[in-house]
Amino acid sequence: MLLKKLIRTIGRYKAQFISMIIMITLGIGVFLGFNMEWVSLNKNTEKFLSDTHFADYRIVNENGFSKSDLEKLSAVEGVDKASRYISVNAEVKGTANTLGLTVTENREVSFFTLMSGDEYDSTSEDGMWLFDKYAQRNNVKIGDPLTVTYKDFELTGTVRGLIESGEYMICVRDETQLMPDFNTYGYVYVSPVMLKNAVIKKYGVFGEMAYDKLYPQINVLSDLSKSQITEKTERALGKTLLILSKNETISYSEAKGEEEEGKTMGLVLPVVFLAIAVLTMVTTMHRLTVNEKTQIGTLKALGVKDGKISAHYTSYALFIGVIGSLLGLGLGYFVCWFMLNPDGMMGTYIVMPEWKLYLPWWCALVVALIVGFLTLIGYLSVKKMLSGTASDALRPYTPKKFKNLLIEKNKLWNKLSFGTKWNLRDLFRHKSRSFMTLIGLIGCMVLLVGALGMNDTATGFINVFYQDVMNYETRIYLSSDGDKTTQETNAVAYDIASKTNGDYSASISVTVTDEPISLDVYGIRSGVVGFLSDDSKLIKLPTDGALVCMRVAKDYNLKIGDEFTVSPYGTSEKYTMKVAGFNRSLSKSISVSEEYAKTLQSDGVSLTDSSVYRINSVYVSADKETLKTTEVYASYKDGLTLQSHSDIVKSFEGFMDILNLAIVVLIVFAVVLGVVVLYNLGVMSYTERYREMATLKVVGFYDKQIGKLLITQNLWLTVVGVAIGLFAGIGVLNVLMIMLASEYEMQVVLGPITYVVSILLTFGVSLIVGLMVSAKNKKINMVEALKGAE
Amino acid sequence: MNIVEMRSVTKRYVAGEHTLNALDGVNLDLEEGKFIVVLGQSGAGKSTLLNLLGGLDSPTEGKIIVDGQDISKLTRDQLAEYRASKVGFVFQFYNLIPTLTVLENVALVKEIAPNALDPKKILEEVGLSDHLNNFPSELSGGEQQRVSIARAIAKNPKILLCDEPTGALDSETGVVVLKLLLSMAKNYGKTIVIVTHNQNIAKMADVVIRVRSGKITSLEENQTPTAVEDIEW
Repeated sequence: MLLKKLIRTIGRYKAQFISMIIMITLGIGVFLGFNMEWVSLNKNTEKFLSDTHFADYRIVNENGFSKSDLEKLSAVEGVDKASRYISVNAEVKGTANTLGLTVTENREVSFFTLMSGDEYDSTSEDGMWLFDKYAQRNNVKIGDPLTVTYKDFELTGTVRGLIESGEYMICVRDETQLMPDFNTYGYVYVSPVMLKNAVIKKYGVFGEMAYDKLYPQINVLSDLSKSQITEKTERALGKTLLILSKNETISYSEAKGEEEEGKTMGLVLPVVFLAIAVLTMVTTMHRLTVNEKTQIGTLKALGVKDGKISAHYTSYALFIGVIGSLLGLGLGYFVCWFMLNPDGMMGTYIVMPEWKLYLPWWCALVVALIVGFLTLIGYLSVKKMLSGTASDALRPYTPKKFKNLLIEKNKLWNKLSFGTKWNLRDLFRHKSRSFMTLIGLIGCMVLLVGALGMNDTATGFINVFYQDVMNYETRIYLSSDGDKTTQETNAVAYDIASKTNGDYSASISVTVTDEPISLDVYGIRSGVVGFLSDDSKLIKLPTDGALVCMRVAKDYNLKIGDEFTVSPYGTSEKYTMKVAGFNRSLSKSISVSEEYAKTLQSDGVSLTDSSVYRINSVYVSADKETLKTTEVYASYKDGLTLQSHSDIVKSFEGFMDILNLAIVVLIVFAVVLGVVVLYNLGVMSYTERYREMATLKVVGFYDKQIGKLLITQNLWLTVVGVAIGLFAGIGVLNVLMIMLASEYEMQVVLGPITYVVSILLTFGVSLIVGLMVSAKNKKINMVEALKGAE
Repeated sequence: MNIVEMRSVTKRYVAGEHTLNALDGVNLDLEEGKFIVVLGQSGAGKSTLLNLLGGLDSPTEGKIIVDGQDISKLTRDQLAEYRASKVGFVFQFYNLIPTLTVLENVALVKEIAPNALDPKKILEEVGLSDHLNNFPSELSGGEQQRVSIARAIAKNPKILLCDEPTGALDSETGVVVLKLLLSMAKNYGKTIVIVTHNQNIAKMADVVIRVRSGKITSLEENQTPTAVEDIEW
């Protein structure tokens, strides 16, 4: 019988039940969505990296490793597997595209997963295994011929298979490129035999020898710590080497960064929804049991045991919790899938073959706890009504006596209109309802400001960085040719820079303590390369010190005027420099001008005269096509790779599209949250004031006057909610940026449109819900309402 | 002069296949300034009669003219205007606004009634000048009903409609309230209609109307109304 009552009561309070279920669905959906996202990302990437034998360490020597070096290293205790490895950017003949030409001698290190086509053959003389996304975008099919050129080697072969490799899980040309662009950049694996043939073809009888020194990298699978492997490697090979752990690779560290982002979002966002869901539950269950108090008393008087009555009312909360959680589970899977699918948000960034979704056990536990907590709220609400004797329970609920407000002592109080007084007292009399309404409005506003602000911040940063700061049209990469000395390469760079009036840079991998950081030395001629200060202003590179990016400054606690020492990898040189300023940068870097670099000395030798000072990029204002027609390009073209500014900017378009989609979803969530919370509370307020409104109607108030009273109260709360929500939203954005500070150096920026849209939207939601609720006025049955006892 | 004229007034409620004639072709004339009591059993139609007079509801058929105005076909807003200017209500359960003080409960009529009287003066007259700043929950039932009467009078209406005004009060308090109601109505020259099932109240009335099954069964003029204090409760 009580089950029937349960179903009918749910029907009676459907607005409240539906709104609570929606809030719980949203809360649990967002919680599961973001947490499943980072857990699934972790599991999928770990599996992919392990399947493709992603290297734990990369030992780098620009002069190349011989076969005997590999043997010495393989013999080191703790090194499980090692392979000579090369990955260089090669031009695709007949296109403007670039492929990472990759060879690994041992397929058990830094290999790939075959997506389609023939198995890899390490003896193949013409087989090429191409990145599937690049093939798809460039319409390359299995069996198609492919020619890549690197320096003056030319490798021509046939695409035998389409692949995905862990080494290129995040397939970007270099650290300055934030997003992959599968149209213009990919990778191709060829066999060592094919590479050797190309070298022999070029060097003839010296080919064998040249090949033996060709591999600049040995990739290693090992459980040793970085310091252990560094020590053991240096002992085995007898020299200081650049050793990069997997944490220092883009693929690994960025994927981990994505997980961190997911964790942050999974921690911050659901709190808003879940807190509102729980508070809604508290207020609604309280109202429900208050309204049902005499029924509770009747059941008690009839002889139904307290336990049964509380079980009955507790089952409402359980019912809401279970339904909300089940729907939330569905929403969670959807949110997770939305972010984590090969064609979705993450698919434009990370490429891997499997995109399975995982629900971690602790998420299920949290959901179970939330349901338990909601049920407890239900239990506590009814327990309060059950206390005392049956006759106590039979008496209708008496709200607390109303006391005068503090502001009533003010003389101005008497000048207020009746409506203002009525609304003010109502707000304070029903504090929990007013508070909840405020929370709903703040939540709505925070989400709107957060979503739109995120967009402003990201687009602002990208626009400022690539439009105002980086003004070059084309970036020319100078390949590090083993044949040329540093001085020769730099001479080429100076020649190109002077003939194109370009800026140039040398990126030197250095350590401050342990982690490698890029020390970028810039020669600024025309100023197409600029810098963004920590307060997001365009600044010039100082000539009396270094510009330190914000992450480095934070990591090493550097202040302006501080001195710090860097040591280029693979050398014992030490350069001490002074902090002249801070900048916002895409990658962790220290930037110095060439003038200042000249003054930096190690053992009496200036940094610019050191062997590590190799200019690798020239930035010019001519576009790619124009540049290709120039004489200077013609004379050096074999050692050059060109990347246009628009290629970089274009690579952000996909990212921005997806960001925009995410923002639309968040805006929808914000509006749903606002509408659901405000409607639920609006209906509650309407029910509570039903009798008062009926009285006003009888006295002679018009429907619209009463409606105006209700809407006015809503608007007051909206003004307060918007004001608090605006600051809270900016606060949340700042917290997000601090939490994500290890990845981005963006500054929170809010455009005028964000202010206008979020304020108008929140007011709009409040007004529409207010109108919806006040439209109910017309249905007030004065006769019925005024019959009952007070 | 008649303040109320009802002509063939029918109020029908339809619920599914059942039709209930709460009022069935009622014709009634009420003279201005009189004290009228409507008597009847529960469900007889007396409250329906009062609700129609008060503009809380509209008749299904027929015509109701109050103070020269036909109210049977008014729109919602026109009815609100009518309630604001022509009628004052006193209910069994007072129906005060709990979040407004005594003074504010009465003063709120100033926002809608064009000829509203001074709320303070009226409250003084009903003996509540010491409770102006109290909330309804701080008053006794009788005091609350006095506020309700003050609110009804303060609108300066043509007609006071009271639905079991003493129904929730003990007899002693009921007498005080009735006395007040009558004296206020008299002082301000208001027509007063009380709906009740309490036969005793009828003894005080100028006109007694009996209602049964939606019809008026009798209308008696009482030439010698008994004073409140002389009635045995």
